[in-house]
Amino acid sequence: MSKLPLAGIRVADFGWIYAVPHATAWLGALGADVIRIESTLAPDLVRFLTGTDGVLGFNRSGVFHAINSSRRGLTLNLAQPEAREIARKIVMKSDFVTENFTVGNMAKYGLGYDDLVKIKPDIIMLSGTPLGQDGPFARTVGFGPTTQAFAGLCHVTGYPHSFPCGIGGTWPDFAVGTGMVFFLLAALHHRDRTGQGQYLDLSMAEMVTTMIPEAMMDFFMNGRDPGGIGNRDESMAPHGVFPVAGDDKWIAIAIATDAEFAKLCDVLGVPSLAVDSKFAKLFGRLENVDELEREVAARTRNFQRDDLVAKLRAHGLAAGPVYNTPELMNDPAFVNSGMLVELNHAEVGKRVVPGIPVNFGAIDLDYRAAPAIGEHTDEVMRELLGYSAEEIARLKAANVLV
Amino acid sequence: MARFETLQEPPRALEGLKLIELPCYDSMPFLAAAMAGKAFADFGAEVIKVEPPRVGALERALGPFRDERPDPETGGLHLYLNTNKLGITLDLERPRGRDLLFDLLASADIVFNPNCPALNERLGIDWATLTRRFPKLIVVSITFFGADSPYKNVRGGDLVATQMSGVGYETPWHQVTDLPNEPPLKLGGRQSDYLTGYTASAAAMCALYSRKTNGVGQHVDVSQWRAMTSMIRPNIGFYSHEAKDSASFQRLHTRRKTAAQWVYPCTDGWVSFSAGTDRFWRGAKVAMGNPDWMDNELFDTILGRVANIDAIEAGVIDWLSTHTRTEAFEKAQEQHVPCFPVHTPAEVATNTQYEARRFFVDHEHPAAGEVRMPGAPCKFSRTPWRTVRGAPRLGEHNRKILGERLGLSAAALDELAEDRII
Repeated sequence: MSKLPLAGIRVADFGWIYAVPHATAWLGALGADVIRIESTLAPDLVRFLTGTDGVLGFNRSGVFHAINSSRRGLTLNLAQPEAREIARKIVMKSDFVTENFTVGNMAKYGLGYDDLVKIKPDIIMLSGTPLGQDGPFARTVGFGPTTQAFAGLCHVTGYPHSFPCGIGGTWPDFAVGTGMVFFLLAALHHRDRTGQGQYLDLSMAEMVTTMIPEAMMDFFMNGRDPGGIGNRDESMAPHGVFPVAGDDKWIAIAIATDAEFAKLCDVLGVPSLAVDSKFAKLFGRLENVDELEREVAARTRNFQRDDLVAKLRAHGLAAGPVYNTPELMNDPAFVNSGMLVELNHAEVGKRVVPGIPVNFGAIDLDYRAAPAIGEHTDEVMRELLGYSAEEIARLKAANVLV
Repeated sequence: MARFETLQEPPRALEGLKLIELPCYDSMPFLAAAMAGKAFADFGAEVIKVEPPRVGALERALGPFRDERPDPETGGLHLYLNTNKLGITLDLERPRGRDLLFDLLASADIVFNPNCPALNERLGIDWATLTRRFPKLIVVSITFFGADSPYKNVRGGDLVATQMSGVGYETPWHQVTDLPNEPPLKLGGRQSDYLTGYTASAAAMCALYSRKTNGVGQHVDVSQWRAMTSMIRPNIGFYSHEAKDSASFQRLHTRRKTAAQWVYPCTDGWVSFSAGTDRFWRGAKVAMGNPDWMDNELFDTILGRVANIDAIEAGVIDWLSTHTRTEAFEKAQEQHVPCFPVHTPAEVATNTQYEARRFFVDHEHPAAGEVRMPGAPCKFSRTPWRTVRGAPRLGEHNRKILGERLGLSAAALDELAEDRII
């Protein structure tokens, strides 16, 4: 196997929950030695999320396994001064430090950037927080989903004239984690050229706001402040999710041009709709969108979803099934896309987890199963830091390596 | 806390890298390519945006426009996505235009290409041809479903990718009251396009690191659908680890209200409030003034709270009905309970946290005048994000790039313009 892109790069990973572990899953798959530092005394709550087959324990959760691939696991009780010293020793041998604790927590342990840059001058440290490291609300606590609200995304997500809506899939945790990969590698590129490390201060809310330019620019340019428009689009109609035969089955259809609308009407068996003066032209369809959507929904109900999707696609139209997770996992195009990898987990054995969402022509991604808690404690202490078996045993007994 | 350096002109992290952003000739995710190019340009790489002559990039036709007056030079999305880029025009449908593109690709590190495989092959800009001709080049294709997918020629887009990924099915998250009548919902704006852009920029950096180890470029296959499915990683792990027919995947679970998180009304708007864990529940009790109704053993466990969500919801709504967003935010955060106001864009634009961090940035644009827009997605202490030039006017850098860089004479440029190649 050819040398991996990040071979020789080490990450002291204090991250937890979703965003940072997602970023370090990319780095690990690219060959970085990611050392996940956690503690049995304050475990990542994701270790106890679903997918455990109903069995209790640190090493069962499918959710944890899905996000924490390609890293080594070390337990370290940072409440102990000796543990903080070990953490600093790991940092001295690392290129990246990643963390997403509440502002000030790392500094409390003597592990803030100002502390670490003294012992590893070219360290690149990334801190991910809800609202950033400074400013009046820096110390607030939150998860990704609560930052959607602060950042303006909830307000623009929602049915027309409805309440603001939260987004599924714990958005934006994984979007932010994906951005972190870019930011970390950009900083590493700068270090390659100059020898300089630096501190990366990521506010999840700010990154979310970089992803709603339509709303922000409309406010800055026109002072407008509209709410959600459901599944609609300002320049396409119909552009929505419509019911199909069966319980809770839906199809997504996006029609851009008048010619496409005529094709849709043909497939739905109502060619008359395409020549109705209310709907023939885009302007009319946008003007009469409520009625248009009722007309379309009244026809889509008569079709089996996948039949209708196939018919619309055969006409070159943009349409797709609304999938829940089991349906997605049963689409052969997804199953064979390269996204899914089967890994052998220490406690639950072989299970499928998601990989990196990109196919590289010339990188053999290095997928390794998520570590059991503390799985690599001895290995890292011995091989990376040179501790003897006796010292390791003593540190375990002293509640340091737990 | 880290101090940010205040040198007059600090370096930027990606200075020296050269990128080309190709125009989209069909309906592929062009906003994703523009966002990926933006990520690089804003951190200092040279990004040459290639646009079709006369009509320009597709985002120039999208609003918002000032006072609803369409103008390809002053649209909000164009200004936002193309700041810091150089802009040239080239007709890639014609051989002379493609030759000039190849001259530029010869010295480029990365190219972003948002076109479908069939069109790329017709124009001779498919990844196989480009990687063979330019062995060091990193070719990032950005499509709806992937360059090798059985769906590679199927039309998609923000709505379709969102709804086929499982994210749309779960939206709204835990707050639907009228399940039969409320369809799965798309995310506000064009989230999947911008997510795909960030995914492409991360993947391009990975390929750049691969080139640092072995000296060769490669094809990087980014798709909007795959990028969106990466947002539901927990579900994939859950699905493959446990009962595949779990009711948890039905929207009765994913979209109805639970104890995990809600968006709730208060006196002057809405707040996003989370008291799902035991710790947050205890904090919420204090924040809400220890009302009698919360002293109920039914609420002592997460499962108990889920089972009795209606009573909890009523109590929370009752508390919020006497609080503004700011009051609820402050009281909850004092007890370390995640609670944030739902901001409208106007409130995002003016909130003190963003102002203190100077998140929004201003620059003067020759066609649009004063432009304000969202700034750095991440603050770099040594190599900060900054604006060095406004979005290019159509063909603004033809002379600089084609003339100075490729050595075309003024007469040759005039001839290209005459022939409508540029």
